[in-house]
Amino acid sequence: MSGVIVLGEARRGELRPVSLELIGAARAISEQGAGPVTVALIAADAETYVEQVNRLGVQEVLVVPTPQPQFEAHVTQAALEALIEQRRPSVVLAGHTIDSLGFAPAVAARGGLGFASNVTGASWGEQGLRAQRGAYGEKLIAELDFPDKQTVLLLLRPGAFAPAEGSGSASIERVELDLAGRARTEHLELRDPPTGDVDITKADFLLSIGRGVEDEDQVAELERLAERMGATLSASRPLVDAGWIDAARQVGQSGKTVTPKVYLALGISGAVQHLVGMSKAQTIVAVNSDHEAPIFGVAQFGAVADMFEVAAELERQFE
Amino acid sequence: MLLAAVKSRPIMWHMPVGLQVLWYALAGISVAVFFYGLARPLLRYRSAPRTGLPGARELPARIWRATRALYAHAAIARRDRYAGWAHRGIFYGWVALAIGTVIVGLSHDIAAPLFGHGFYDGDFYLACKAVLNALGTALIAGLLAMMLRRAVLRPGKLDYARPDRPPEQYERQAHAYRVGDWVFVGTLLAIALTGYVLEGVRIAMEHPGYDGFQFGGWLTAQLFEGAGQITLAAWRHGLWWFHGLLAITFVASIPFTKAAHMLSSYASMILRDPLAGKRLRKIEPELALDPAGYGTLADFPLVHLLQLDACTKCGRCHEVCPARATGRPLSPRDVVLELREQARAELPDVGGVLGQLLGGSGDGGEGGPVIGSDGVHADSVWSCMQCNACVEICPVGIEQAPIINQLRRRLLEDGELDGGLQSTLQAIHKSGNSFGQNRRSRGKWTAELDFEIKDARKEPVELLWFVGDYASFDPRSQRVTRALARLMHEADLDFGILYEGERNAGNDVRRAGEEGLFESLVEANAQLLGECEFQRIVTSDPHSLNTLRNEYPEFGASFTVTHHTELLLELLRGERLRPGEPLGYRVTYHDPCYLGRHNGGYDAPRRLLELIGCELVEMPRNRDNSFCCGAGGGQIWIAEQGGDERPSENRIREALELDGVELFVVSCPKDVTMYEDAIKTTGSGERLQLRELTELLEEALVRGAVGAGT
Amino acid sequence: MKILVPVKQVASLDEDFVLGEDGAVSSQDLDWQLNEWDSFSLEAALQLNEGEDGEVVAVTVGDEQVEQNLRSCLAKGADRAIRVWDDSLRGADALAIASVLAAVARSEQPDLVLCGVQSSDAVESATGVALAGLLDLAHVAVVTGIERAGERLTVQRELEGGVVELLGVSLPCLLTVQTGINEPRYASLRAIKQASAKPLDVSSLADVGLDAGTVAAHAGSHTTQLHEPTLTAGATMIEGGTAEIAARIAEIVKGAMSA
Repeated sequence: MSGVIVLGEARRGELRPVSLELIGAARAISEQGAGPVTVALIAADAETYVEQVNRLGVQEVLVVPTPQPQFEAHVTQAALEALIEQRRPSVVLAGHTIDSLGFAPAVAARGGLGFASNVTGASWGEQGLRAQRGAYGEKLIAELDFPDKQTVLLLLRPGAFAPAEGSGSASIERVELDLAGRARTEHLELRDPPTGDVDITKADFLLSIGRGVEDEDQVAELERLAERMGATLSASRPLVDAGWIDAARQVGQSGKTVTPKVYLALGISGAVQHLVGMSKAQTIVAVNSDHEAPIFGVAQFGAVADMFEVAAELERQFE
Repeated sequence: MLLAAVKSRPIMWHMPVGLQVLWYALAGISVAVFFYGLARPLLRYRSAPRTGLPGARELPARIWRATRALYAHAAIARRDRYAGWAHRGIFYGWVALAIGTVIVGLSHDIAAPLFGHGFYDGDFYLACKAVLNALGTALIAGLLAMMLRRAVLRPGKLDYARPDRPPEQYERQAHAYRVGDWVFVGTLLAIALTGYVLEGVRIAMEHPGYDGFQFGGWLTAQLFEGAGQITLAAWRHGLWWFHGLLAITFVASIPFTKAAHMLSSYASMILRDPLAGKRLRKIEPELALDPAGYGTLADFPLVHLLQLDACTKCGRCHEVCPARATGRPLSPRDVVLELREQARAELPDVGGVLGQLLGGSGDGGEGGPVIGSDGVHADSVWSCMQCNACVEICPVGIEQAPIINQLRRRLLEDGELDGGLQSTLQAIHKSGNSFGQNRRSRGKWTAELDFEIKDARKEPVELLWFVGDYASFDPRSQRVTRALARLMHEADLDFGILYEGERNAGNDVRRAGEEGLFESLVEANAQLLGECEFQRIVTSDPHSLNTLRNEYPEFGASFTVTHHTELLLELLRGERLRPGEPLGYRVTYHDPCYLGRHNGGYDAPRRLLELIGCELVEMPRNRDNSFCCGAGGGQIWIAEQGGDERPSENRIREALELDGVELFVVSCPKDVTMYEDAIKTTGSGERLQLRELTELLEEALVRGAVGAGT
Repeated sequence: MKILVPVKQVASLDEDFVLGEDGAVSSQDLDWQLNEWDSFSLEAALQLNEGEDGEVVAVTVGDEQVEQNLRSCLAKGADRAIRVWDDSLRGADALAIASVLAAVARSEQPDLVLCGVQSSDAVESATGVALAGLLDLAHVAVVTGIERAGERLTVQRELEGGVVELLGVSLPCLLTVQTGINEPRYASLRAIKQASAKPLDVSSLADVGLDAGTVAAHAGSHTTQLHEPTLTAGATMIEGGTAEIAARIAEIVKGAMSA
């Protein structure tokens, strides 16, 4: 058997955008010879998303209902294992998302699959699948291949692949799997993040700060600068962990995904989890003292400098 | 009268034998109570560790030094001449009156029974009278001056306001302190005054004639002119008993009141560590497995327990503390007093029925942790900059900063430390520098020089340059470091550096309380230095200088260590560097704590400034009274701790007060960082610029070279 | 409760590293330290066992130089440490490492395994859940809160956008722990030295019943080449002093905002 299975991802009744990126990537390697593209939707409300994933290049959509309404890692794990067993695909694509991290590595380890996570590039050639991912904190790129693996499971980094377009003419198939009793965790509740006084996702101009900030007082100084520049202050995770800034202002995988007109990043090196949340901003300007900082890879403009010296000068510029 | 003719005075005039016996009995009780009171703290000290005590051989010299210091009174008069003179009056008056009393006692109670007559008569009596009258007056003047100071002048250091907690938490204690202070001076004044009045009554009765020798008594005698002999006699008996009872009560109370400082402070001055703060205490190998530092009072060695008792609450450390001055929750005085109150409340004391005949009551034991919401706050311990200003000014030899360091050692071991400090210490452990940079980049600053610097690990050099973290890694300081390299190169010195072999010298690691890391840094540096061939070490970093000079020797690594300002001065004096025309700047100079207070390096930088033609305008707080930049004791690695302002900003404001000063000159890499920042944050860049001394010297040399070329 | 805490020593690449001709990174250019996430998982383990008659065992797959990190785990309060190593494991990926850890876990039989979510160098986020898969343990990934009541844990799972899912899971299980869940304690150097008295067991692959071939078969991928990122999307660098940089930034910001 061959072919590509894409795992769609949904939460709270909405298809997550990464699903379309996975389909886009699948279509590309499918065209390179990896075989037909199948989208699997493993969810109680899987039917709901069928139309949305029925994109150009998708041959088949599998609807795999689950007994429980919410995502449950062990149930999805069992479902995916069963699908791989049945279909023996060459490639399985899922998002490098929190949900996938809860089951995909287990599926790969148990099934002896080829596996790579946080993948930023994938292609199909004579030797089969090849993938790209970061190494040494994104300072290098590793080229991977998967010798002797019948099936390779890749977790693609959200934002790294162009989403699928157009509508397709896939066949829809309902796959009933025996998933009862597979859940090993009990869902209690979902809690929304504190809303805070700001909604950084609606801001046009974000002044975003990161690990370069060394103490809480500096946050207050930068907040003043943001105000003066007409920007909204946001931050990367370490400052939220430190308790110096409200969780509502966090940009990144565990925070908000933002798409402002301008994203001015001061002292943010650009860990993957952060880049996921801001790489879609229209104009990204980054200031960092490390010229190797990965953020310079996504920024349009960069400067290697001390963030506080620049901040002090900016205050003057916006007087 | 007959007695007047022999120039003396009667002792126990017309006193019935019964009353005389009563008097001696009361005096005996007073002495017993005194010794009982004295035994209490001694018992507390009994089970304390003996670390830090001088050897018996050292003791005579220590006693001599302490006694000399006591009689000179220089420490008490420092930066507070008013208090100095007042205390001199009280001290010398008290000593003289005490000696006078002993003389009377010897004459009346020993000489008279033995030889049939005493010796308190004739010219000797008159001389005593004159001296005692003069010094008695000094005592009264001193006491009145102190009272005036407390009641009217009210210097801030005496108000017992604590920066570490709200007034309602300490007001009762402060009130008790104030009452104690007043009772102390009040009692002394009452004793002195009643003495004079008593003498006045006697003079009014007897008119002995030599009024000039007992002018104080003569003066009070005028009050009684015209009173009848019977009234005067009644007064005389009454006053004698009042004065006498007051005096013996006072003697009995000495160990229990502020008067105890006459003993405890003197003892503390004898035992004071001449290197206090400059060299912190090592953990002895046999204690390697015990928790470090002070967690409970049982961990305090005798010397430090005694120091707690020695505090006179004079407030000098409170006044100079840069943490207190900038609104942080620390006053060294309050740390000492807080610990003292705990020690008195918790440690085994004499207890009931003379502590079962001084056997120690045993209850109390080790006591609880000294740090906590009821004790010294952890915040206070972490606010200290280990600048040693408190140790330096303390007139009685208390080691506030080293005690705080010991408290830190325990807090750190219990994991109660700031996150930023934690990660810096981890970085130092991992990479040997506080910047967390790869150790191989330590020598990178040399890349921009157009000559090579020798690798002291590979070839012998005369001068081994220990560069230090800030001078090696901080971009602003690197400019200074390169300037120093050019000057040393220009002067044709044979010098080298350790490149990636050098590690943080450990001065501030130790002062942050990370003794284990300090030990391992010393071990690594000492081993490497031991393998190199050189005459002496030079460094531009006062922190490295301090630990290399004062602390490494205890770990078996003794070197001659020179600060770069001394080296540069040598080069100018030896004409190996020739500055050109005077620079003509009007400058002020900041003494780095670890060069100045810790190592006495006050003059070389000033002399250098003079030689290159800079006009030095001193800030009010200079030399030993220099104000910490706020970086010391690992503070530079600790996230900002609130307070009203940064110490460095406080200092820059001080410099801005000086008329026409354009340059703020420093000679420490940490100062470069701190003050460059403070000049920016205070927005004073247009009025004041920062220069490291080396940069100024290079500027002077460039002018010299230009001058020579034309 | 016996808690197994797998930890990793991560490599950070020096600023001016040079890639060898074979595309390999020189060990000279690498700086090693304990993975940030693992200090949180260790702390979580220590806190869960506080005042309990349990055991915290730190385990790592790494060569000798990792021992310093294991000592610091012991200094912080872990009761034992295990190090497994074989030279064939150099550069092994998450699945291969998980297979080694699984062998250790089978002999240790912990009630709970606490991993870090990911390592800062490889960012695979896979070792923990792969290990759970191999052991057939219940698992929750990306945990930001743990509460225990007997054999039952209530954990918080942190989802995208800051949404938190509360779920219940029973022991034995495996959790991958996110940063910020607690405040990791400091291990003083004296404590680290004193911890040398605590047991640190060194095993070879054979000692845990494995061989190089078996582990290699578990690997999910094979690295054919390392190279520096091509700067197709790289930033235009603004040169000059701070004032010039700020002026240019101001210009860019104003331009983009009015566009």
